[in-house]
Amino acid sequence: MTHPVLIPTLETDRLVLRAPAATDLDAYAAFCQSDRSAGVGGPFTLDDSFHKLSAIIGQWSLRGFGRWMVADKQSNEPLGIVGPFYPITWPEPEIAWTVFAAAEGRGIAHEAALAARAYVYDTLGWDTVISCTTPGNDRSVALARRMGAQRDGSFHHADYGELLIWRHPSPEALA
Amino acid sequence: MSVTLSDTPVLETDRLILRAPQAGDMEPGMAFLMDDRARFMGGPQSRFQAWRTMGHLTGHWVMRGYGLFIYCDKASGTPLGAVGPFFPEGWVEPEFGWSAWTSATEGKGLVAEAAAAARRWAYDTQGWTTAVSYIDRDNARSIALAKRLGAVLDDQAAYPDLPGWEGTLVFRHPGPEDLA
Repeated sequence: MTHPVLIPTLETDRLVLRAPAATDLDAYAAFCQSDRSAGVGGPFTLDDSFHKLSAIIGQWSLRGFGRWMVADKQSNEPLGIVGPFYPITWPEPEIAWTVFAAAEGRGIAHEAALAARAYVYDTLGWDTVISCTTPGNDRSVALARRMGAQRDGSFHHADYGELLIWRHPSPEALA
Repeated sequence: MSVTLSDTPVLETDRLILRAPQAGDMEPGMAFLMDDRARFMGGPQSRFQAWRTMGHLTGHWVMRGYGLFIYCDKASGTPLGAVGPFFPEGWVEPEFGWSAWTSATEGKGLVAEAAAAARRWAYDTQGWTTAVSYIDRDNARSIALAKRLGAVLDDQAAYPDLPGWEGTLVFRHPGPEDLA
């Protein structure tokens, strides 16, 4: 079995941010096949879910960074996908977050996104980062605001339509 | 920072090196997927879709423990296309796939050379005893290659139930004992 062993693992109080694995497919596909994925272009089929999950893993190799599987630190239950995300058609890299139904309303996305933001600033050395939300995704907008991000325009994506840009506080502003 | 697939095999043939996908394959692979040359495999794709597909080819190695090799010119290292074992969700059974990213690679037996090496690897190391290739009935070049590799049309085999796949041909490869 092949593992991209160099995908780093982060820990927070309640969570582990770790490499996505084949064993996460059921949880990820359940999210993709549900209405919860409407904000990111879904719902998707099981086939699409496999394609997307493997692409999430592959981006670590192709970009040198990528999104983690967020899991419960005690049970290892997959709870969501969070991390730096830079599709080739994005204007700049973002911190992206997605949480599965089991993680809703518990501050999981916030806790994971804070760890991811600290990672891109402290380890990758980025000096700025954005997050993108689809219009009407109020929960995602609320998280962006909670992290101190402020609206910074929008862009039109050929596949996703209009995406709102939220710019996070800089490393200096957070220091 | 470097994040790479570990423990992936490297195969060598007379003229080629076969290895797992790397960051440098991104642009040439995307150029193929966005081109009319990809019309028999669901293309041309948008730039975003092509970007994701290249990630998918890489991540497939992690999801399954095997995946498509990128075959490269041995002398220059130039990536020429993808070949090998492929079994994403939705496939009926494991497949041997192949692509030649530009027309310059065609007509030299390079794809056959690469595909045969990848097939040998899957039989020898993954325990595969059979596999198919799914081919669009209008893809004459690919049909010719399947036959050249000894694969025969299998009318009884099902193909993935996916939009646009109606009438897809299923070629079944000779098994490991037939190739011994």
